[in-house]
Amino acid sequence: MSLQTAASPTRPWLTGAHEALPLLGGYVPVAISFGLVATQAGFSAWEAVLISTLIYAGASQFLFVGMVAAGAPLWLVVVMTLLINLRHVVYAPNLAPWLPPSRGWPWLMHGLTDQVFALAHARLPQLPASQRLGWFVGVALLAWASWIAGTAFGAVAGGELITRWALMGEILPFALPALFLVLIAPRFTSRRWSLALGLTTLIALLLTVLGLTNLAIPLAAACGALCFQVVKFDPTAPGERHE
Amino acid sequence: MSSALWLAVIASALGTLLMRLLPLLWMQRHLKRLGDDDLEAMPQWLGLLGPLMITAVFGVSLVPTRTDAISWIATLVGLLATLVVWRRTRTLGWPVAAGVAAYGAAVMLVAWGT
Repeated sequence: MSLQTAASPTRPWLTGAHEALPLLGGYVPVAISFGLVATQAGFSAWEAVLISTLIYAGASQFLFVGMVAAGAPLWLVVVMTLLINLRHVVYAPNLAPWLPPSRGWPWLMHGLTDQVFALAHARLPQLPASQRLGWFVGVALLAWASWIAGTAFGAVAGGELITRWALMGEILPFALPALFLVLIAPRFTSRRWSLALGLTTLIALLLTVLGLTNLAIPLAAACGALCFQVVKFDPTAPGERHE
Repeated sequence: MSSALWLAVIASALGTLLMRLLPLLWMQRHLKRLGDDDLEAMPQWLGLLGPLMITAVFGVSLVPTRTDAISWIATLVGLLATLVVWRRTRTLGWPVAAGVAAYGAAVMLVAWGT
């Protein structure tokens, strides 16, 4: 699972699936919670699984079932769901330069979640062009399957699972911040980048603590970008290697 | 589930897919027009926003399930373990495993001690 090595030349999808394993620590507990919340909101297990299969966007799914259960107008439910997912519009263009021509990419974009984007953004540039499609298929399919399976588990046996394995449900999601840390750590290459990345992290953290989770990602990233554009350090100063 | 609710699910699913897909098609066309398949052809703001969005997701994910002192301390311990193992191995899997193990150990140690 090295960040520097290429995928297995014969089975890049297997390397992708292997590298996506840390995502499961975050996906499965949240998917189980979603299955449980959806059934408690009046959806059947099949309906919860279909929502996870088709929409496949964590936070917006919780909002969707919550608003439906609260009796909100359906047009508003759709608008709010799409607004939460609006941040996804910047993901695919960031990957585009590393996607070799294939008719499969548009379909694979269904699997472009926050976590899959973070992993792909770090790994695709390091892989030979011939292995990128297979690698992405492995990552995207494993992540999608784990989300669907977790939802099914949660819908069928979520209450009992959470009672019995409460501590595991609390510990395993730490795989996500750990993975993100590994993905962003190599980007602390200069004081300018470090300041922008540190500020982005801090703002996202504070907004989430304040309960503004959905606003946190676009707003924190925008503040980080503004900081990067405005603050410039003397390039000859120590620690300013390159940007 | 009523047919109106199904329509809402399909509209949300289709809208989400289009938000992930259409920008890709736009960018691919943009790269093709410039005849340059590398980063130079990517708008600067887009190249900046990518890493910052990942960092923002990192910031959001840092908030533990339970926001008590034990979880925050465990988060710090887990992050430190992740960073130390990453600096030593420069791999993807081991730092994550070490971070989760350290986080879990910290949570259980504090829970056991109280």
